[in-house]
Amino acid sequence: MNFNANTSSRPAFGRKVKRVSHVDAMGYSPYTPSNPYNNPEFSNQQYPSEYVNTQASFDGPKDPGYGFSPQTSYPNIQQQGINVFGQPIVQDIAIQYGQQLANTGKSMVQQEIKKIVPVTKLKYYFAVDTKYVMSKLGLLFFPFTHADWSIKYEQDGPVQPRFEINAPDLYIPTMAYLTYVLVAGLVLGMQKRFSPEQIGIQASSALAWCLFELAIYSCTLYIANIQTSLKLLDLLAYSGYKFVGIIASILLSILGEKTAYYCGLGYTNLALAFFLVRSLKAQVLPETSQQSAGYYENSVPVVGNCPHQSPNEIYKCRIEQLGNFFINNTSNYSFIHYYKYVYVENLEDTFCASDSLFEIISWKWLVCTV
Amino acid sequence: MGFTLWNLFEASLLCLNAVCILHEERFLAKIGWSAKSPSVQGFGEQPTAKAQILNLIHSIRTVARIPLILFNIVTIVLKLILG
Repeated sequence: MNFNANTSSRPAFGRKVKRVSHVDAMGYSPYTPSNPYNNPEFSNQQYPSEYVNTQASFDGPKDPGYGFSPQTSYPNIQQQGINVFGQPIVQDIAIQYGQQLANTGKSMVQQEIKKIVPVTKLKYYFAVDTKYVMSKLGLLFFPFTHADWSIKYEQDGPVQPRFEINAPDLYIPTMAYLTYVLVAGLVLGMQKRFSPEQIGIQASSALAWCLFELAIYSCTLYIANIQTSLKLLDLLAYSGYKFVGIIASILLSILGEKTAYYCGLGYTNLALAFFLVRSLKAQVLPETSQQSAGYYENSVPVVGNCPHQSPNEIYKCRIEQLGNFFINNTSNYSFIHYYKYVYVENLEDTFCASDSLFEIISWKWLVCTV
Repeated sequence: MGFTLWNLFEASLLCLNAVCILHEERFLAKIGWSAKSPSVQGFGEQPTAKAQILNLIHSIRTVARIPLILFNIVTIVLKLILG
Protein backbone atom coordinates (compact mmCIF):
# COMPACT_ATOMS: atom_id res chain seq x y z
CA MET A 1 0.00 0.00 0.00
CA ASN A 2 2.68 2.43 0.94
CA PHE A 3 4.83 1.43 -1.90
CA ASN A 4 2.11 1.88 -4.50
CA ALA A 5 1.00 5.15 -3.11
CA ASN A 6 4.41 6.70 -3.18
CA THR A 7 5.22 5.59 -6.67
CA SER A 8 2.12 7.18 -8.00
CA SER A 9 2.41 10.39 -6.06
CA ARG A 10 6.00 11.28 -6.82
CA PRO A 11 6.93 10.40 -10.34
CA ALA A 12 10.65 10.83 -9.81
CA PHE A 13 10.87 8.46 -6.95
CA GLY A 14 8.26 6.26 -8.44
CA ARG A 15 10.31 5.75 -11.54
CA LYS A 16 13.38 4.87 -9.57
CA VAL A 17 11.53 2.39 -7.49
CA LYS A 18 10.04 0.83 -10.51
CA ARG A 19 13.43 0.59 -12.17
CA VAL A 20 14.77 -1.30 -9.22
CA SER A 21 12.01 -3.79 -9.36
CA HIS A 22 12.60 -4.27 -13.05
CA VAL A 23 16.34 -4.55 -12.63
CA ASP A 24 15.88 -7.30 -10.17
CA ALA A 25 13.33 -8.98 -12.28
CA MET A 26 14.67 -8.83 -15.85
CA GLY A 27 18.07 -7.23 -15.92
CA TYR A 28 19.04 -3.63 -16.33
CA SER A 29 17.36 -1.20 -18.67
CA PRO A 30 17.33 2.19 -16.99
CA TYR A 31 16.46 4.42 -19.88
CA THR A 32 13.32 2.83 -21.10
CA PRO A 33 10.73 5.53 -20.76
CA SER A 34 8.54 4.03 -18.11
CA ASN A 35 5.41 5.75 -17.06
CA PRO A 36 4.10 4.54 -13.76
CA TYR A 37 0.64 5.79 -14.59
CA ASN A 38 0.24 3.34 -17.44
CA ASN A 39 1.52 0.42 -15.50
CA PRO A 40 -1.01 -2.33 -15.20
CA GLU A 41 0.01 -2.93 -11.61
CA PHE A 42 -1.94 0.09 -10.59
CA SER A 43 -5.60 0.22 -11.22
CA ASN A 44 -7.09 3.52 -12.13
CA GLN A 45 -9.58 3.52 -9.35
CA GLN A 46 -6.89 3.09 -6.78
CA TYR A 47 -5.02 5.97 -8.10
CA PRO A 48 -6.60 9.28 -7.07
CA SER A 49 -7.23 8.40 -3.48
CA GLU A 50 -3.68 7.32 -2.94
CA TYR A 51 -2.46 10.40 -4.63
CA VAL A 52 -4.32 12.52 -2.14
CA ASN A 53 -3.07 10.45 0.72
CA THR A 54 0.59 10.73 -0.16
CA GLN A 55 0.38 14.40 -0.91
CA ALA A 56 -0.78 14.80 2.62
CA SER A 57 1.90 12.49 3.91
CA PHE A 58 4.64 14.59 2.39
CA ASP A 59 3.25 17.68 3.96
CA GLY A 60 4.91 16.53 7.07
CA PRO A 61 4.99 14.07 9.87
CA LYS A 62 3.08 16.51 12.12
CA ASP A 63 -0.13 15.04 10.73
CA PRO A 64 -0.50 11.70 12.45
CA GLY A 65 -4.13 11.15 11.46
CA TYR A 66 -3.49 9.09 8.34
CA GLY A 67 -3.46 5.43 7.86
CA PHE A 68 0.23 5.04 7.34
CA SER A 69 3.27 6.78 8.64
CA PRO A 70 5.55 8.62 6.26
CA GLN A 71 8.58 7.85 8.38
CA THR A 72 8.53 4.26 7.27
CA SER A 73 7.85 4.82 3.58
CA TYR A 74 10.28 7.64 2.91
CA PRO A 75 13.61 6.06 3.88
CA ASN A 76 12.64 2.92 2.09
CA ILE A 77 12.39 4.72 -1.23
CA GLN A 78 15.53 6.67 -0.63
CA GLN A 79 17.48 3.55 0.03
CA GLN A 80 16.29 1.96 -3.15
CA GLY A 81 17.09 5.12 -5.09
CA ILE A 82 20.62 5.05 -3.77
CA ASN A 83 20.87 1.42 -4.72
CA VAL A 84 20.27 2.30 -8.34
CA PHE A 85 23.20 4.64 -8.44
CA GLY A 86 25.29 2.30 -6.35
CA GLN A 87 25.29 -0.30 -9.06
CA PRO A 88 28.55 -0.31 -11.07
CA ILE A 89 26.79 -0.62 -14.43
CA VAL A 90 24.74 2.43 -13.73
CA GLN A 91 27.80 4.34 -12.63
CA ASP A 92 29.67 3.37 -15.75
CA ILE A 93 26.83 4.38 -17.99
CA ALA A 94 26.37 7.63 -16.16
CA ILE A 95 30.05 8.44 -16.47
CA GLN A 96 30.03 7.50 -20.12
CA TYR A 97 26.98 9.61 -20.78
CA GLY A 98 28.49 12.55 -18.98
CA GLN A 99 31.72 12.26 -20.90
CA GLN A 100 29.83 12.03 -24.16
CA LEU A 101 27.89 15.17 -23.30
CA ALA A 102 31.05 17.00 -22.33
CA ASN A 103 32.82 15.93 -25.51
CA THR A 104 30.00 17.01 -27.80
CA GLY A 105 29.84 20.31 -25.97
CA LYS A 106 33.57 20.81 -26.31
CA SER A 107 33.60 20.04 -30.02
CA MET A 108 30.65 22.36 -30.62
CA VAL A 109 32.42 25.20 -28.83
CA GLN A 110 35.59 24.53 -30.81
CA GLN A 111 33.69 24.60 -34.07
CA GLU A 112 32.07 27.89 -33.15
CA ILE A 113 35.45 29.37 -32.29
CA LYS A 114 36.86 28.10 -35.56
CA LYS A 115 34.04 29.82 -37.41
CA ILE A 116 34.87 33.16 -35.82
CA VAL A 117 38.66 32.98 -35.56
CA PRO A 118 40.58 31.18 -38.29
CA VAL A 119 42.79 29.29 -35.86
CA THR A 120 44.65 27.12 -38.37
CA LYS A 121 45.38 30.11 -40.56
CA LEU A 122 46.68 32.05 -37.59
CA LYS A 123 48.84 29.11 -36.57
CA TYR A 124 50.61 29.34 -39.91
CA TYR A 125 51.52 32.97 -39.25
CA PHE A 126 52.97 32.20 -35.84
CA ALA A 127 55.07 29.22 -36.92
CA VAL A 128 58.40 30.93 -36.31
CA ASP A 129 61.63 30.13 -34.52
CA THR A 130 64.50 32.19 -33.19
CA LYS A 131 66.63 31.83 -36.29
CA TYR A 132 63.83 33.07 -38.50
CA VAL A 133 63.09 36.04 -36.25
CA MET A 134 66.73 37.10 -36.12
CA SER A 135 67.25 36.83 -39.85
CA LYS A 136 63.94 38.57 -40.57
CA LEU A 137 64.89 41.46 -38.30
CA GLY A 138 68.21 41.67 -40.07
CA LEU A 139 66.36 41.70 -43.36
CA LEU A 140 64.09 44.50 -42.17
CA PHE A 141 67.05 46.66 -41.17
CA PHE A 142 69.24 45.89 -44.15
CA PRO A 143 67.26 44.50 -47.10
CA PHE A 144 69.52 45.80 -49.84
CA THR A 145 71.71 42.75 -50.38
CA HIS A 146 68.98 40.14 -50.26
CA ALA A 147 68.65 38.49 -53.64
CA ASP A 148 65.81 35.98 -53.74
CA TRP A 149 62.46 37.42 -52.66
CA SER A 150 60.11 34.76 -53.91
CA ILE A 151 58.12 32.52 -51.60
CA LYS A 152 58.37 28.79 -52.00
CA TYR A 153 55.20 26.80 -52.26
CA GLU A 154 54.35 23.37 -50.99
CA GLN A 155 51.61 21.11 -52.25
CA ASP A 156 48.81 22.86 -50.46
CA GLY A 157 50.15 26.33 -49.77
CA PRO A 158 53.12 28.48 -48.98
CA VAL A 159 55.91 27.16 -46.78
CA GLN A 160 55.81 28.04 -43.10
CA PRO A 161 57.75 31.16 -42.10
CA ARG A 162 60.29 29.21 -40.05
CA PHE A 163 61.54 27.52 -43.22
CA GLU A 164 61.14 30.46 -45.54
CA ILE A 165 62.47 33.87 -44.67
CA ASN A 166 60.37 35.67 -47.27
CA ALA A 167 57.06 34.42 -45.95
CA PRO A 168 55.09 36.98 -43.94
CA ASP A 169 54.56 36.17 -40.27
CA LEU A 170 52.47 37.80 -37.59
CA TYR A 171 54.79 37.15 -34.67
CA ILE A 172 57.16 40.04 -35.34
CA PRO A 173 54.35 42.58 -35.98
CA THR A 174 52.51 41.58 -32.81
CA MET A 175 55.55 41.78 -30.62
CA ALA A 176 56.70 44.98 -32.30
CA TYR A 177 53.29 46.54 -31.74
CA LEU A 178 53.34 45.72 -28.03
CA THR A 179 56.94 46.89 -27.69
CA TYR A 180 56.10 50.09 -29.52
CA VAL A 181 53.36 50.91 -27.04
CA LEU A 182 55.70 50.29 -24.10
CA VAL A 183 58.60 52.22 -25.61
CA ALA A 184 56.35 55.15 -26.42
CA GLY A 185 55.23 55.14 -22.78
CA LEU A 186 58.85 55.05 -21.68
CA VAL A 187 59.82 58.03 -23.83
CA LEU A 188 56.77 59.99 -22.72
CA GLY A 189 57.79 59.26 -19.14
CA MET A 190 61.28 60.53 -19.79
CA GLN A 191 59.75 63.74 -21.11
CA LYS A 192 57.55 64.02 -17.99
CA ARG A 193 54.43 63.76 -20.12
CA PHE A 194 53.35 60.28 -19.06
CA SER A 195 49.97 59.43 -17.61
CA PRO A 196 48.43 55.95 -17.45
CA GLU A 197 45.81 56.65 -20.07
CA GLN A 198 48.57 57.55 -22.51
CA ILE A 199 49.30 53.83 -22.90
CA GLY A 200 45.73 53.15 -23.97
CA ILE A 201 45.69 56.12 -26.31
CA GLN A 202 48.93 55.06 -27.96
CA ALA A 203 47.76 51.47 -28.39
CA SER A 204 44.42 52.51 -29.78
CA SER A 205 45.98 55.01 -32.14
CA ALA A 206 48.52 52.56 -33.52
CA LEU A 207 45.88 49.89 -34.00
CA ALA A 208 43.55 52.37 -35.69
CA TRP A 209 46.22 53.40 -38.15
CA CYS A 210 46.90 49.75 -38.94
CA LEU A 211 43.24 49.04 -39.57
CA PHE A 212 42.92 52.17 -41.69
CA GLU A 213 45.90 51.04 -43.76
CA LEU A 214 44.39 47.60 -44.10
CA ALA A 215 41.08 49.05 -45.31
CA ILE A 216 42.85 51.19 -47.90
CA TYR A 217 44.91 48.24 -49.12
CA SER A 218 41.96 45.93 -49.50
CA CYS A 219 39.85 48.62 -51.18
CA THR A 220 42.65 49.32 -53.64
CA LEU A 221 43.16 45.64 -54.35
CA TYR A 222 39.44 45.26 -55.00
CA ILE A 223 38.93 48.36 -57.13
CA ALA A 224 42.03 47.89 -59.25
CA ASN A 225 41.06 44.24 -59.52
CA ILE A 226 44.58 43.03 -58.88
CA GLN A 227 44.90 39.27 -58.96
CA THR A 228 47.15 38.42 -56.07
CA SER A 229 47.83 35.64 -53.65
CA LEU A 230 47.93 38.13 -50.75
CA LYS A 231 45.38 37.49 -48.07
CA LEU A 232 44.11 39.92 -45.48
CA LEU A 233 46.44 38.53 -42.82
CA ASP A 234 49.40 38.90 -45.17
CA LEU A 235 48.52 42.55 -45.59
CA LEU A 236 48.23 42.91 -41.84
CA ALA A 237 51.67 41.36 -41.43
CA TYR A 238 53.25 43.65 -44.00
CA SER A 239 51.64 46.71 -42.46
CA GLY A 240 52.84 45.63 -39.02
CA TYR A 241 56.52 45.40 -39.95
CA LYS A 242 56.79 49.17 -39.75
CA PHE A 243 56.71 49.05 -35.94
CA VAL A 244 60.19 47.53 -35.94
CA GLY A 245 61.61 50.63 -37.61
CA ILE A 246 59.61 52.94 -35.38
CA ILE A 247 60.93 51.24 -32.26
CA ALA A 248 64.51 51.54 -33.53
CA SER A 249 64.18 55.26 -34.23
CA ILE A 250 62.50 55.95 -30.89
CA LEU A 251 65.34 54.16 -29.10
CA LEU A 252 67.82 56.21 -31.11
CA SER A 253 66.01 59.35 -29.94
CA ILE A 254 66.74 58.30 -26.34
CA LEU A 255 70.44 58.03 -27.10
CA GLY A 256 70.80 61.12 -29.22
CA GLU A 257 68.55 64.09 -29.67
CA LYS A 258 66.23 64.98 -32.50
CA THR A 259 68.86 64.60 -35.18
CA ALA A 260 69.47 60.96 -34.25
CA TYR A 261 65.72 60.36 -34.27
CA TYR A 262 65.23 61.80 -37.73
CA CYS A 263 68.28 60.06 -39.13
CA GLY A 264 67.03 56.75 -37.74
CA LEU A 265 63.53 57.40 -39.05
CA GLY A 266 64.82 58.22 -42.50
CA TYR A 267 67.00 55.13 -42.73
CA THR A 268 64.38 52.71 -41.41
CA ASN A 269 61.82 54.21 -43.76
CA LEU A 270 64.12 53.65 -46.68
CA ALA A 271 64.87 50.10 -45.62
CA LEU A 272 61.18 49.34 -45.03
CA ALA A 273 60.20 50.80 -48.39
CA PHE A 274 62.83 48.68 -50.13
CA PHE A 275 61.73 45.60 -48.24
CA LEU A 276 58.05 46.12 -48.99
CA VAL A 277 58.56 46.91 -52.66
CA ARG A 278 60.67 43.84 -53.23
CA SER A 279 58.55 41.39 -51.28
CA LEU A 280 55.24 42.71 -52.59
CA LYS A 281 56.58 42.72 -56.12
CA ALA A 282 57.27 39.04 -55.72
CA GLN A 283 53.72 38.49 -54.45
CA VAL A 284 51.59 40.86 -56.50
CA LEU A 285 53.34 40.25 -59.80
CA PRO A 286 54.38 36.61 -59.65
CA GLU A 287 56.75 36.36 -62.57
CA THR A 288 56.75 32.61 -62.90
CA SER A 289 53.01 32.21 -63.09
CA GLN A 290 52.69 35.11 -65.51
CA GLN A 291 55.34 33.67 -67.77
CA SER A 292 53.82 30.25 -67.71
CA ALA A 293 50.36 31.62 -68.36
CA GLY A 294 51.56 33.64 -71.31
CA TYR A 295 53.47 30.71 -72.68
CA TYR A 296 50.71 28.21 -72.40
CA GLU A 297 47.95 30.43 -73.63
CA ASN A 298 49.65 30.36 -77.01
CA SER A 299 50.17 26.65 -77.28
CA VAL A 300 47.30 25.12 -75.39
CA PRO A 301 43.55 25.50 -75.55
CA VAL A 302 42.45 27.09 -72.31
CA VAL A 303 38.95 26.13 -71.26
CA GLY A 304 37.76 28.30 -68.44
CA ASN A 305 39.81 30.30 -65.99
CA CYS A 306 42.50 29.26 -63.57
CA PRO A 307 41.69 30.76 -60.18
CA HIS A 308 44.86 29.53 -58.51
CA GLN A 309 47.91 31.60 -57.94
CA SER A 310 50.86 29.36 -57.23
CA PRO A 311 52.60 28.07 -60.34
CA ASN A 312 52.18 24.49 -59.31
CA GLU A 313 48.45 24.85 -59.08
CA ILE A 314 48.26 26.67 -62.37
CA TYR A 315 50.07 23.82 -64.07
CA LYS A 316 47.80 21.29 -62.48
CA CYS A 317 44.72 23.25 -63.37
CA ARG A 318 45.81 23.68 -66.97
CA ILE A 319 46.59 20.01 -67.35
CA GLU A 320 43.22 19.03 -66.00
CA GLN A 321 41.48 21.48 -68.27
CA LEU A 322 43.42 20.13 -71.18
CA GLY A 323 42.43 16.61 -70.31
CA ASN A 324 38.78 17.63 -70.08
CA PHE A 325 39.09 19.36 -73.41
CA PHE A 326 40.42 16.19 -75.01
CA ILE A 327 37.74 14.09 -73.50
CA ASN A 328 35.07 16.40 -74.74
CA ASN A 329 36.46 16.94 -78.19
CA THR A 330 38.02 13.76 -79.42
CA SER A 331 36.81 10.31 -80.06
CA ASN A 332 39.93 8.60 -78.81
CA TYR A 333 38.62 8.61 -75.28
CA SER A 334 40.64 5.96 -73.49
CA PHE A 335 43.95 7.12 -74.90
CA ILE A 336 43.42 10.68 -73.74
CA HIS A 337 41.99 9.62 -70.43
CA TYR A 338 45.05 7.58 -69.73
CA TYR A 339 47.40 10.41 -70.55
CA LYS A 340 45.52 12.92 -68.51
CA TYR A 341 45.88 10.98 -65.32
CA VAL A 342 49.41 9.85 -65.96
CA TYR A 343 50.50 13.41 -66.48
CA VAL A 344 48.72 14.73 -63.47
CA GLU A 345 50.30 12.06 -61.33
CA ASN A 346 53.73 12.68 -62.75
CA LEU A 347 53.33 16.32 -61.98
CA GLU A 348 53.34 15.66 -58.29
CA ASP A 349 57.00 14.68 -58.19
CA THR A 350 58.52 16.01 -61.40
CA PHE A 351 57.50 19.56 -61.52
CA CYS A 352 60.10 20.66 -64.06
CA ALA A 353 59.21 17.93 -66.47
CA SER A 354 55.71 19.28 -66.93
CA ASP A 355 57.00 21.74 -69.53
CA SER A 356 57.93 18.98 -71.88
CA LEU A 357 54.80 17.07 -70.94
CA PHE A 358 52.80 20.03 -72.00
CA GLU A 359 54.47 20.09 -75.36
CA ILE A 360 53.75 16.44 -75.80
CA ILE A 361 50.13 16.99 -74.93
CA SER A 362 49.79 19.89 -77.32
CA TRP A 363 51.39 17.87 -80.04
CA LYS A 364 49.03 14.97 -79.43
CA TRP A 365 46.15 17.37 -79.49
CA LEU A 366 47.23 18.71 -82.85
CA VAL A 367 47.50 15.19 -84.22
CA CYS A 368 44.08 14.31 -82.92
CA THR A 369 42.40 17.33 -84.38
CA VAL A 370 44.06 16.89 -87.74
CA MET B 1 46.10 62.91 -29.22
CA GLY B 2 45.10 62.30 -32.76
CA PHE B 3 43.51 59.27 -34.17
CA THR B 4 42.02 56.57 -31.97
CA LEU B 5 39.92 53.51 -32.63
CA TRP B 6 36.80 55.47 -31.76
CA ASN B 7 37.67 58.09 -34.35
CA LEU B 8 38.20 55.36 -36.91
CA PHE B 9 34.82 53.88 -36.06
CA GLU B 10 33.09 57.25 -36.40
CA ALA B 11 34.82 58.04 -39.67
CA SER B 12 33.95 54.73 -41.24
CA LEU B 13 30.40 55.02 -39.98
CA LEU B 14 30.01 58.44 -41.60
CA CYS B 15 31.54 57.21 -44.87
CA LEU B 16 29.24 54.21 -45.00
CA ASN B 17 26.28 56.48 -44.24
CA ALA B 18 27.34 58.70 -47.10
CA VAL B 19 27.39 55.76 -49.46
CA CYS B 20 24.05 54.50 -48.25
CA ILE B 21 22.12 57.74 -48.69
CA LEU B 22 23.02 58.05 -52.36
CA HIS B 23 19.67 57.90 -54.11
CA GLU B 24 19.39 55.24 -56.76
CA GLU B 25 17.11 57.10 -59.19
CA ARG B 26 17.64 60.75 -58.35
CA PHE B 27 21.41 60.72 -58.19
CA LEU B 28 23.11 57.55 -59.34
CA ALA B 29 21.00 57.05 -62.44
CA LYS B 30 21.61 60.64 -63.62
CA ILE B 31 25.38 60.24 -63.76
CA GLY B 32 25.13 56.77 -65.18
CA TRP B 33 26.22 55.00 -62.04
CA SER B 34 23.07 53.04 -61.50
CA ALA B 35 23.30 49.35 -60.88
CA LYS B 36 20.74 48.84 -63.63
CA SER B 37 22.72 50.70 -66.26
CA PRO B 38 23.95 48.30 -68.91
CA SER B 39 27.58 47.45 -68.43
CA VAL B 40 29.52 46.51 -71.50
CA GLN B 41 31.74 43.68 -70.54
CA GLY B 42 32.74 40.80 -72.72
CA PHE B 43 33.01 37.29 -71.48
CA GLY B 44 36.31 36.65 -69.72
CA GLU B 45 37.33 40.30 -69.70
CA GLN B 46 38.53 41.85 -66.48
CA PRO B 47 35.99 44.32 -65.09
CA THR B 48 37.09 47.93 -65.19
CA ALA B 49 37.86 50.02 -62.13
CA LYS B 50 34.62 51.94 -62.53
CA ALA B 51 32.61 48.76 -62.64
CA GLN B 52 34.38 47.57 -59.51
CA ILE B 53 33.58 50.83 -57.69
CA LEU B 54 29.94 50.60 -58.74
CA ASN B 55 29.82 47.03 -57.59
CA LEU B 56 31.33 48.03 -54.25
CA ILE B 57 28.83 50.85 -53.77
CA HIS B 58 25.97 48.57 -54.67
CA SER B 59 27.15 45.89 -52.27
CA ILE B 60 27.53 48.38 -49.44
CA ARG B 61 24.07 49.74 -50.08
CA THR B 62 22.63 46.26 -50.04
CA VAL B 63 24.46 44.69 -47.17
CA ALA B 64 25.28 47.50 -44.77
CA ARG B 65 21.93 49.24 -44.58
CA ILE B 66 20.34 47.38 -41.69
CA PRO B 67 23.48 47.13 -39.52
CA LEU B 68 24.16 50.80 -40.15
CA ILE B 69 20.82 51.74 -38.62
CA LEU B 70 21.80 49.83 -35.50
CA PHE B 71 25.27 51.34 -35.32
CA ASN B 72 23.89 54.84 -35.86
CA ILE B 73 21.41 54.41 -33.03
CA VAL B 74 24.11 53.15 -30.68
CA THR B 75 26.43 56.01 -31.58
CA ILE B 76 23.74 58.63 -31.17
CA VAL B 77 22.77 57.27 -27.77
CA LEU B 78 26.40 57.19 -26.65
CA LYS B 79 26.95 60.72 -27.86
CA LEU B 80 23.82 61.91 -26.05
CA ILE B 81 24.93 60.31 -22.82
CA LEU B 82 28.65 60.98 -22.87
CA GLY B 83 28.59 64.24 -24.76
